[in-house]
Amino acid sequence: MTAWSLWIARLRELCVGRSIDRDLSDEVRSHLDHLTDEFIRRGFTRDAARQAAAREFGSIEQTKEAIRDTRGIPMLEHLFVDVRRAVRSLAKARSFTTVAVITLALGIGVNVAIFSVLDAVVLRPLPYPGADRLVSIYEVTVGTGPARASTSGSVLGGGVGGGDDPGRTVVAPANYVDYQARTQEFSGMAGLNQLTMTVTGSGTPEQVIGEEVTPNYFGVLQATPALGRLLSIDDGRPGAPFVVVISHGVWQRRYGGEPSVLGKSMMLDDVPHEIVGVMPREFAAVSQFGLVDPISFWAPRYYSTDLLANHGDHEINVVARLAQGATLEAAERSLAAISDDLERRFPLTNEHLRAHVRPLVDDLVRRVRTSLVVIMSMVGLILLIACVNVANLLIVRGAGKRREVAIRYALGASRVRVASAMLVESFVLAAGAGLLGVGLATGVKGVLVALAPQNLPRLNAVGLDGRVIGFSAIVAMVSGVIFGLLPAWQTRTARPLEALGSGERTVASRWMARWRTALLVAEIAISMILLIGAGLMVKSLVSLNAVDLGFRTDHVLAMSLNLPERHYKTADDRFRFFQTLEAQLSTVSGVVHVGYANRFPLRSGWVSSVEIDGASASNPLVFDANCQAVNPGYFDTLDLHLVRGRLLGAGDRKTAEPVAVVSDAFSTQLLHGADAIGHRMRLRPTGPWVTVVGVIADMRRGGKTAAIRPQVYLSAAQTDLYPVHLADVAVQVDGRITDPAAMSAALSRAVWAVDKDQSVSSVRMLDEVVATGAKSQRFQATLVGLFAALALTLAMVGIHGVVSYVVTQRTPEIGLRMALGADRWVILRWLLRGTSPLVVIGAVAGLIGAVAFSRYVSSLLFQVTATDSVTYVSATLLISLVAMGSAALAARRATTINPVQALRAE
Amino acid sequence: MPTDKDDVLQGTLALMVLQTLHTLGPQHGYGIARRIEQVSGHAIALNQGTLYPALVRLEQQRWIKPTWGVSDNNRRAKFYTLTARGKKRLTAETTRWSRVVATIERFLRAAGNPS
Repeated sequence: MTAWSLWIARLRELCVGRSIDRDLSDEVRSHLDHLTDEFIRRGFTRDAARQAAAREFGSIEQTKEAIRDTRGIPMLEHLFVDVRRAVRSLAKARSFTTVAVITLALGIGVNVAIFSVLDAVVLRPLPYPGADRLVSIYEVTVGTGPARASTSGSVLGGGVGGGDDPGRTVVAPANYVDYQARTQEFSGMAGLNQLTMTVTGSGTPEQVIGEEVTPNYFGVLQATPALGRLLSIDDGRPGAPFVVVISHGVWQRRYGGEPSVLGKSMMLDDVPHEIVGVMPREFAAVSQFGLVDPISFWAPRYYSTDLLANHGDHEINVVARLAQGATLEAAERSLAAISDDLERRFPLTNEHLRAHVRPLVDDLVRRVRTSLVVIMSMVGLILLIACVNVANLLIVRGAGKRREVAIRYALGASRVRVASAMLVESFVLAAGAGLLGVGLATGVKGVLVALAPQNLPRLNAVGLDGRVIGFSAIVAMVSGVIFGLLPAWQTRTARPLEALGSGERTVASRWMARWRTALLVAEIAISMILLIGAGLMVKSLVSLNAVDLGFRTDHVLAMSLNLPERHYKTADDRFRFFQTLEAQLSTVSGVVHVGYANRFPLRSGWVSSVEIDGASASNPLVFDANCQAVNPGYFDTLDLHLVRGRLLGAGDRKTAEPVAVVSDAFSTQLLHGADAIGHRMRLRPTGPWVTVVGVIADMRRGGKTAAIRPQVYLSAAQTDLYPVHLADVAVQVDGRITDPAAMSAALSRAVWAVDKDQSVSSVRMLDEVVATGAKSQRFQATLVGLFAALALTLAMVGIHGVVSYVVTQRTPEIGLRMALGADRWVILRWLLRGTSPLVVIGAVAGLIGAVAFSRYVSSLLFQVTATDSVTYVSATLLISLVAMGSAALAARRATTINPVQALRAE
Repeated sequence: MPTDKDDVLQGTLALMVLQTLHTLGPQHGYGIARRIEQVSGHAIALNQGTLYPALVRLEQQRWIKPTWGVSDNNRRAKFYTLTARGKKRLTAETTRWSRVVATIERFLRAAGNPS
């Protein structure tokens, strides 16, 4: 006989399991009947015959089991039987099942939702071949020198947290060429920066974001084009014809996906660029992460000799691929040697400056990682609370089922079979909750994505895919084990005798009481940790909101104007344009002040090294400062307060003496508190000396989480002083206008009145930008707050359940006490006396847990320490109040007990 | 179960069942058990937990075929019938068994019986 047909037979039996089971029962009954007949024939009475037959037959249950084991595939068969039984019994206990499934589904749902975000944003590898070898390179000021923080448009690493690493900056192209040429640790290194251009020609004019890259950019990423070619080294040489590679999106949108697009010319800022290639749809630009608008084109960038001569001009992001066999550490060491050399050769700009390498994926997601991991662990704790609650419910239910279990033992079922049947019930519960949880997660995920800051990297990739579903299944099963083991273990103590009497009831309930106590303590401790976490985040948000930026943000409407170099060749051309625009904007009704600058606060900026006069040649005073070229109206537009001296005025024209206004931090941070007025400084080693004529109050240019840094304001009219382009204009709108954003159309019209072809971009209210900046903190605080509330609710339900059960169990005792004269308050106190030490133990455990947890949270907090005592005390008070409150609510029922009835019930 | 009676060896039980069905024709489980006990002179006591799984195995091998019918006692019962495959198997098993018995006997005789 082949094993084959045997298995086929077994498999078939598995499929018709139910009818076979019935068949089996019938056959056993038939056998018993025949046996009974036999005994009757021997002269037994009908009843005696039946008993004798049963005795002779032996254990019916064991026989059935033995037959079942032979039929089908026993393990699966048992499982099916158990699952069927579990479903039946759960369906019968409707209220228990509802509460348990909803509790668990909440826990699983939030976990799955957060995991889907964590997975898409942080865990999944970057979409490049060999992405684990991709790194990004930065420059860091180490040691004593003043921090060289840059706000000049780092395109990487946008995210939830606030504030850049202090002292970290993007790379100077002049240093980049050394890094690239002088080490073997990388197989390729490319520079990139983001730029915005206007496409004209075919179709409507539109502003698009692209990347200006060194030609080997695609090679480093190992990307291949969908059509045509990528950039070649020749494209990056000076004087080469303008070429561009376009994104799949632009190809579809503007060129209808026609293959004939290659060789066509695309007008970017009025300059024709030949389209040489199209990227595939799935290609993601390096700066795409954390960006809402798509990167639409890649243009080759050539670093001019001017730029390569200036080692202090930090302006490019660098991505590199580690060579085969090279490590991150080796690469960093090798770059450090180059940095040392650069420091020797260019002490003025490169002192204390080191190249810093980190994995590209870390760089892109670093700020969100901590935040998401903390939130993930918080929802993990919520699931734990949910499991504890369900375990509690199951224990109560298990107590009710002891009789049933004892009967099964009496009928010959093995301990393993009974325990596994209980576990199966837990798993069925978990599976149901898992399904509901995934449904719930879909909704929660939608809300999360809608609430999340739009610059959260890879937010659009969040979805319930195979990985997430797999995760849900694992979570559901693990929680099934967590809350199922205890009740299954509980049946171990059931004895067949119990089926007949209530012999071991006291033992069982003492055992249960111990476990329920432990669960209650755990629940309080976990909620405590969550509550403290939420408290810290909320407090952090409050202090963030309280931060004074130092400049006006309400009723200030800013926009960017990228003047094409073809029409505005010199800095003076650009200055004249903005002068005319200022006059034009002043005529718009509702406009109070007009300011323009290279950049307004909160909209990135220009960091330059500043050399202060008066130091000896051997010890030059060189610092980094935020510099900007502004018109006199700039100060009024932002309500910047003058502390000493004077502001810039119309008299500070090109021919006049070069002057600057600085912020207070310039004196305090760079001059050891000396009055800045009268000091001279220069921005280039060979540039003209600029005299400080005024000091204004400090500001946080980069936003609320940014540090206060020295600011230097140059007169926009003195165009020889600054290399950056004037590009931002802002107006302060009359405070009586309720919807200042509605004025943007009128402002655009004013721009077009000056130059009808000029495109306008990034029209934003400054307070809107501030709100967006705080959005990540608010998002974080909202999420954690909601989760803490959920945890607290679950804990309340759990505590209420435990105390209610105690009340039910002790009803006779309570009745007796009342009959003996105890009044309601005595009873209430007596019941609560059992709970209060548990609350204290739980709270202490929670405090310890929270302190341990605080290490991870601290980086997410703003001006709040992770062990903030006010938060800890409030959380302790709240948790005690809630715990005792829900206990009291449950205990109150005891006071309504009628002593007579209670005593009779026993 | 009484311990002074022999437990039935797995393989021999299958042979006994097949032989019983061959001799008596279709039989239900109770009848098979009685018959085996009778023929063995009550030397063999069948545990139902042994007999029924054995029947299942025979059925899975398609040597016997079950059908529900009415017994002599006028009770519903599941009757097992020997199939053609079962008959072939019985012949083969009988031959094999005789050979084994003959071999063992020869062996015991040659070794010298201690009694």
